[in-house]
Amino acid sequence: MSETMSHAKNQPAHQPLEDPFWLTARMASKIRSLWMLWTYPFASVGSRFCAHYSCDLRRPIAPYVKIGDSVLLDREVWVNIPVLPDNNEPVIVFDDGCKVGRRCMISARNRIHFERNVIFAPSVLVMDHNHAFEDVNVPIKDQGITPGGTIRIEEGCWIGFGAAIVCGKGELVIGRNSVIGANAVVSRSVPANSVVAGNPGQVVYCPSEADKS
Amino acid sequence: MSKSNLKSFEDPVRVFLDAVRKLHSLWLSWTYPFASVGHHFSVHYSCNLSRTVARYISIGNTVLIERDCRVDVPMVPKDFGPTILIEDGCRIGQSGTILAINRIHIGRDVIFGQSVLVMDHNHAFEDVSIPIACQGTTKGGTIRIEEGCWIGFGAAIVCNEGELVIGRNSVVGVNCVVTRSIPPYSVVSGNPARIVKQFDPSQGRWVLGSSVPVAQSRSAE
Repeated sequence: MSETMSHAKNQPAHQPLEDPFWLTARMASKIRSLWMLWTYPFASVGSRFCAHYSCDLRRPIAPYVKIGDSVLLDREVWVNIPVLPDNNEPVIVFDDGCKVGRRCMISARNRIHFERNVIFAPSVLVMDHNHAFEDVNVPIKDQGITPGGTIRIEEGCWIGFGAAIVCGKGELVIGRNSVIGANAVVSRSVPANSVVAGNPGQVVYCPSEADKS
Repeated sequence: MSKSNLKSFEDPVRVFLDAVRKLHSLWLSWTYPFASVGHHFSVHYSCNLSRTVARYISIGNTVLIERDCRVDVPMVPKDFGPTILIEDGCRIGQSGTILAINRIHIGRDVIFGQSVLVMDHNHAFEDVSIPIACQGTTKGGTIRIEEGCWIGFGAAIVCNEGELVIGRNSVVGVNCVVTRSIPPYSVVSGNPARIVKQFDPSQGRWVLGSSVPVAQSRSAE
């Protein structure tokens, strides 16, 4: 009891008020989120969807994006589908509780699936295709993109600052509760509960290998 | 059919923002004293491009600069002529940074991913008695990126001295740090940059690289 009393004493008498300008920005984000919720033709969208007003998600790609409950898209997130698919399958799926940090870029051609409670640090890249570069006579800009693969990030993962998850072909799975370190580059599947760091990315901790040793 | 047409409509807010971007680009190309500027120059309104350095920047046709880019000349250059040259058809992705004090030449049809850094100088740090912030910059070198290259997400191209050339149609991988020249038609990745794939003109196909860091292979020559 006395401990809680002393803790209360250390608190300032009045919490400082939030800056009204900041509240305006919050309002703009709220309006943007509601606008997207009501007018964008998403494949499905859950409750408490929150997108920052500078977030870049074009309306034509919305039918291929599926969003769960309490998903957050922070400032300047870019969600992109370069080639619209023929069928109506969702291409980018965010399950409940995904938090996408600032300046992240998510670009999908086939399928990118974020399971529940995946959290992102700022400046993360997730791409399931790439630019083609095999023809040496044509600038890479005009060579189009590769067919690419699919990416699944299982639940509870944490993607560190500046990490890049790129899938050239096949399926890339990041196992549940894995941690991708800052500026790591992941181009192969990662087992569950492991820690990946470095460029090129290497698994630096994996519980199954830790048990053996 | 009508429903799908309705779905593919662009958001009117987005159309308005595109119009703002267009106006900003026109304002820049009409009023900024660029060394030269081509037509269809498109620059996002959140870009950090200052009017005072515009005369050191030369921009070609159909150049696209995405949001939050910084194209800047931090110190008054000694040479005449443009310090930053961006040729026709270049695309610079979101949050890119191009800082030059000597010369950065970006050839035709080069595409940049997001968050790319291109710097031809660096902070000096040799003096241990004063903060690095007060030590100024190094002399630096020049950077030339030849035509048709692709610079991946988060790559850093930094040149401390001499000339750094990235050969034509080369690919700089994701989060790669490049400090030495790269031959044409090669794919580099990793930190430090290694050549992982290269086009062999005698065989006419792509072969695997030597996996030796570019820095080491250069010093061995």
